Amino acid sequence: MDIAVEEIAGGITKVGLSGRFDTTGAVVVELPFNKIVTEKHRILVDLSAVNFLASYGIRVLLVGAKIAKAKDGKLVILCPENNVAKVLKTAGTDSLIPIFQSEGAAAEALAAS
Amino acid sequence: MLRNDLSELQRLAGWIQGWSDASVVSSDVSFAVQLCLEEAVANVIMYGSPKGDPLEIAVEVERNDGALVALIEDNGRQFDPTKVPPPLPAASLDDAKIGDVGIHLMRSFANDMHYERRDGRNRLTLRFVESQAGASPAE
Repeated sequence: MDIAVEEIAGGITKVGLSGRFDTTGAVVVELPFNKIVTEKHRILVDLSAVNFLASYGIRVLLVGAKIAKAKDGKLVILCPENNVAKVLKTAGTDSLIPIFQSEGAAAEALAAS
Repeated sequence: MLRNDLSELQRLAGWIQGWSDASVVSSDVSFAVQLCLEEAVANVIMYGSPKGDPLEIAVEVERNDGALVALIEDNGRQFDPTKVPPPLPAASLDDAKIGDVGIHLMRSFANDMHYERRDGRNRLTLRFVESQAGASPAE
């Protein structure tokens, strides 16, 4: 699993994850991901290039959101309507972390925070 | 042990994905099977270590009557995931517990889940019905 970071307009840090967000993948990105959410304020987690998501991956996202919140930051997820989105919905993650299907909507939500 | 088992799971996931690529099963069913196997095996690795003996996990997937049936068998300590109650929805991010999400995902993505303990082994059977309407994998 890969992680790519990009600073975009509005003081937003876009974290692009790609590949399989399974237990192995989640363990690989966990530390760099936590580092980013500790340091940044407006975090857009882009899951568009993620083709699989398991509960350990959800754990990483939730921990990240908690860290961001503890530091008065905000984290949102960008994920198109697919099986990965279905996993997030089934796990109830969408009621804890805002999930958007377009980058524009995600960025707008962050800019408002 | 953990690393070995997880890499085996990657290999298995690749094999199931291969079925999907060859149009043997739909990508949705392939996803569901991979997810449930990932959760089931991760649970066994994290909670199931038997006393003394090395942990053995066997996974079998077969096609049966319009459904894929996956059997996960391990020699770990007794654990029946079907008995775990569904997690209560967290009111807020602060309350969120990740504990039973994996089992909840299995229940949701598999059509059927069955457990039995036999000869000192856990046997978890998951059934995935292939869609009746529309795409026929045989075509």
